[in-house]
Parts: sequence; structure tokens; C-alpha cells
Amino acid sequence: MKPKPMTLAIAAAAALVVRRAMRRRIQGSPLWPMPALEPPVSGRPRSRALKLLVTAHERIADGVVRVRLEGHDLPRWEPGAHLDLVLPSGLVRPYSLCGDPEDTSSYTVATRLVEDGRGGSREVHEQVQEGVELEVRGPRNRFPLVEAPSYVFVAGGIGITPVLPMLRALPEGTEWRLLYGGRTRASMPFLEEIEKLDPDREGSERGRVTVVAEDEDGLPDLDAFLAGVPEGAAVYCCGPQGLMTAVEERLPEGTALHLERFAPRTTAGGDGEFEVELRRSGRTLTVAADSSVLAAVRAELPNTPYSCEQGWCGTCQQKVLEGEIDHRDELLTDSERGDSMLICVSRARGERLVLDM
Amino acid sequence: MSNTQARLPRPVESERIPLKARKVSFSWEDTPLHWVPGDPFTTHTINVLHLLLPAGERWFVHVYKQVLPYIRDERLREDVIGFIGQEAMHSQAHDEVLPHLKDQGLDPTPYTAQVDWLFEKLLGDRTLPPGRPRRWWLMERVALIAAIEHYTAFLGDWVLNARELDRRGADPTMLDLLRWHGAEEVEHRSVAFDLFLHVDGSYARRVRTWAVAFSALVFLWQRGARFFMENDPTLIDGRATFMDFHRRGRRGLLPSTGAMLRSIPRYLGHAYHPSQEGSTEQAVAYLAASPAALAAEKSQEEAA
Repeated sequence: MKPKPMTLAIAAAAALVVRRAMRRRIQGSPLWPMPALEPPVSGRPRSRALKLLVTAHERIADGVVRVRLEGHDLPRWEPGAHLDLVLPSGLVRPYSLCGDPEDTSSYTVATRLVEDGRGGSREVHEQVQEGVELEVRGPRNRFPLVEAPSYVFVAGGIGITPVLPMLRALPEGTEWRLLYGGRTRASMPFLEEIEKLDPDREGSERGRVTVVAEDEDGLPDLDAFLAGVPEGAAVYCCGPQGLMTAVEERLPEGTALHLERFAPRTTAGGDGEFEVELRRSGRTLTVAADSSVLAAVRAELPNTPYSCEQGWCGTCQQKVLEGEIDHRDELLTDSERGDSMLICVSRARGERLVLDM
Repeated sequence: MSNTQARLPRPVESERIPLKARKVSFSWEDTPLHWVPGDPFTTHTINVLHLLLPAGERWFVHVYKQVLPYIRDERLREDVIGFIGQEAMHSQAHDEVLPHLKDQGLDPTPYTAQVDWLFEKLLGDRTLPPGRPRRWWLMERVALIAAIEHYTAFLGDWVLNARELDRRGADPTMLDLLRWHGAEEVEHRSVAFDLFLHVDGSYARRVRTWAVAFSALVFLWQRGARFFMENDPTLIDGRATFMDFHRRGRRGLLPSTGAMLRSIPRYLGHAYHPSQEGSTEQAVAYLAASPAALAAEKSQEEAA
């Protein structure tokens, strides 16, 4: 169908008139005719893929390399945060940041070569070199430093990486203790710097820093170290699974324990069974160990929105009123994580969650 | 009434495929400000997408979450759920471009703050009495989305075939973002219209919302292009005129004016169905080769 010439002419004339009228108005007031949203929400992506240049790749202990990634105007981070590196093969691996949080021009991570690992650390050691560009995502903080009257840190080997910026960030005069264990002194990164942080280390038994190298001192005596944990202290532990379980067992009930796993537990459904209360609809459901909150909720409320079911589209985000959340998504920002979750992948840390739905 | 049957919307059945969102990510460090080399007008006209889509597609998701209870067809519900995920990812991907523009001295915030206001406030949920008024406003927005999707599918189909951009050496990352997005738009082009037919389908509403959507798109787009041209730090006295647009349309750097005008009567035709336009086959073929979509597939397999 061909438009008639007359129609076209009228449309063009109308467009011209409208254009002239609008141009005058818009030039008079740049915001005409729309007000602006205060504060604007677009342009603040939740996560941003950044391509950073590797400017240093150096061995700082046996089997440990430190990688420095440079960029500009990088997002700030808080001690305990990690960065996801997209390795040349496409593997995505989280590494704790261990540089200076104030530095917005570079990120520093350190990683130990795991011989029988899943391949991520081998790639960082062997394929990543100076001059290579790496894509990163984050930083995110799953291991934030909370406010507490005193702190106790237990780090095993490379587990020192998230702890180091915390020690640097603690205000002068804060009471803290650190147990730093490793196989040999030569395999323990940042040892010198850690020992320097201890003001009264000269032969003192009550020193803030206890360094235990297995080949010289045997296994660390966790019982003795954890015996005198002060009341209200925040306990941070990062290291091999065995160490974290041992610390968990020895702590008295009610102590705030913060754990950072080298690798997050399996991301797909699974782990323990727990209860979910849907406060607004007045229902309580049980989420089975091999199921997800979303599946349980959909059985009751079939119109619950969701889409990707893998924790990145954000459609199934719901407000959480009570209960501690085990976040397993890749999307939410640290502040959103305070009171909401993606119900398709995230679970409860405890036995119960209360959702606002 | 003898010809009513023939004038109903007729979907092309072979164009229907299951929809899934892809977790893409793009890094923009290597993309220059004028990513179509030497052609700021084309660059900025296409850049307007990054201004409109983050807020617009978030709004689609917001509206569709509310319309789920009205869907009585399981197959359509699945499509809508896939659609929501794809739109959520489009919004996130375009949102990531904005800080990059800001880094290069072209701060889009004054404009996006208005677009945010448009979608969050003007087109957002209103304090209407429950029942018919609320349903009316929801249906009006569903129909608006169907009309907008007609244009996103049109643009998606255009960008998949815009060989001239390749010939001019346009930035490959930006082209991949546009073509990944365009291909998903072509892939799900029928969903919004099917949903509209399912929950309402009134022809008067189709025409009314088309008129609103079309004028709003033209208004926002020309304004966005002018905003970018005037604020581009590398241009002295940057301007955007309709003739610039028309000329580039003829050269194949932008959609041509004629093609855009011809798409109007198609949408308003009684027998219109989006599956009659564009090619799912071409979209799927692009997605099977897109660097971003391939990387997304890899990271999804890794997670599973």
C-alpha cells in the first residue's frame, strides 16, 4: 500500500510545525516537559564487567602468586571483599582482595596453586602474565568486617588474604588476636607484614599474632587459642574446610563466627532443609534439602514471578523480614543483600526465613 | 461478518521457539566514544538505546510481574517468564554502558533521570481503587508494551541485517551487544502481542496505545540524539537534524525513514501478528555465534 501524496504532505507539515514549537520550548527549559527522578536509578549497574591489565605477577611465597590488576576509577571495596576473575578459559573464580581499599586504580589478589584443584589456580599461575587483560566482576563482600568490641582471626595459609586488609583497617587501640597457620614459613604469604603488625611480639606469649608453621611447631593448638575468646568478640576464620569446622566446634554457643570458604559451596539447590514463612499470605512451608525456596513458594503461590532460576536475572527478588540468608546469587549488591534475596538460588543459613509475600 | 475470520491476527507457527535468558556481560574499556568511526551522529542515535532501555525494560519486567495472575494459558505463561528474564538482562547490559559514556566525558544522567521518571513515576503503579481502574491501567500498559515491542523487533531485525555498520568498522563489542539484544528481540517478538491478545486484545486500545508509544518514541529518540550531539565533548556545535537521520537511513547506517513509515500500517492492520515479520531462524543463528551469548552459555554450564 502506497501512502497518498496529500497525506504525506500534511504529515510532513505537521511534523515541521511541531518540531519548531518544541525546539523553542526545549531550548528555553532543558528539562521540558519532564521532571527528573530524584535520585536517578539508571547508570548504576549492579555489577559491571571491567577489563583490567595485569601489571604485576610475582611469587610472594612458595606456591603463591600475587597479581596486581590496574584500571581507573575502580569501584571501592571494604575489607573482606572478593573479586571474580574471568580467566582466559572462561572459568570464573573468586579471589579475596588483599591490597589497599582506598586505591581506586588497582586491585591486588593472591592465589595459591592447588595441584588437584578445579583448574582456576593453575590458570592464574601459568597463563596469566604481566600485560594480559583480564575481565573481572565485583567486588563483592560476603565476609564483611562487623563492628565488635574485640576481634579474633584464624587464618590458614592463603586464607590470610581477606584478613590482611581487615587488620590494616582496624582502628588503633582495637583489641584483636590472630592465629596464622601454614605448612612452612616459606609457604605463608605476607608473613613479614603480619608479624610487623604485632606491637609486642618479642618472645611474648600473649602476643597478638601467633604464627604456627607445621614443620616447626606442629599443628596449631586451637583449644588454647580459642579458650580465652572474650565475650562479644567477632571471630573470623578463613582457611581449609577442616580448619573452619574445627574452629566452629570449639567456639562457645552464641559467639559470632564469620567464615569465608575458598570456594563457595555448590551453587545449585541443596544442603539443609528449612522453613519459610510467607508473612503476608500467612503460610509456612518447608523447603526440602534438594529443592529451592522458589519451588516451594510456587507450589503455594503459582503466580510468583521468576525467570532464569540461576540467580542472575533478579526477577524473583523478595524482601526478607527475618532470618539469616545464605546468598548464592551473582546479582544483588551488598546493600540489597541486607534485606532481600533471590529465592531461586539463595537459601537460609539458619532454620527459618520470613518473607514479605 | 463473512471476512472476520480472515482478519484475525494469524501467528506463523513455525516461528515459535522456547525462550531463555542468557547471562551476558560486556566490558567497555576498549570501545571508543564514537564507536562508528568518524560518524558521531550514527553513534549517538544508536546510543539513545542505552538511555531508554535500562529504565524501559525494567518497567516491562515490573508490569509483566503483575500481569502473571491474568494468564490462563500455560504455554503463554512460559513465554512470558522467558521474556521477563531476557528483558531483565537487556536492561542490565545497557545499564553497564552508561558509566562508560560518563568516563568519556558524556554524562547521560540529566537525560536518564528523566527517562527514569517517565517509567517509574508517570507509567508506574498508580494509587487507583482496586478492581476495574487498576485493571484498566495494567491493560493499558500491557498494550503499550506490545506496541513498543513492535518497534524493538523492527530495530532488532534491522540491526541483524545492518551490514553497513560492519563495513564502516563499528566497534565489535557494541555491535555484539546490539545484535545479541536485537536477536533476542526478534526471538521473543510475539510474546508481548500474544499476551495483549490473551488478556485484552481490543483493537481500539491497540490503536490508542500505538499512537502514544510511537509519538513518545519519536519524541524521546530525537531528544536523546540531540542531547548527545550537543553534549559530546569532542564536537563543537554538535547538531542532530532529521535530514542527518534520513541520509544515514538511505546509506543503511540507520533504519530508513521509508521502512519505518511502512511498519506503521502493518502494526495497525487487523491481521497483524509479529511472527509475520523478521526471521527467528536468523536470530537463533546469530545467538549461536554471538561472542557474548557463547560466553554466557559457557558460564551457565559451568554453574550447573
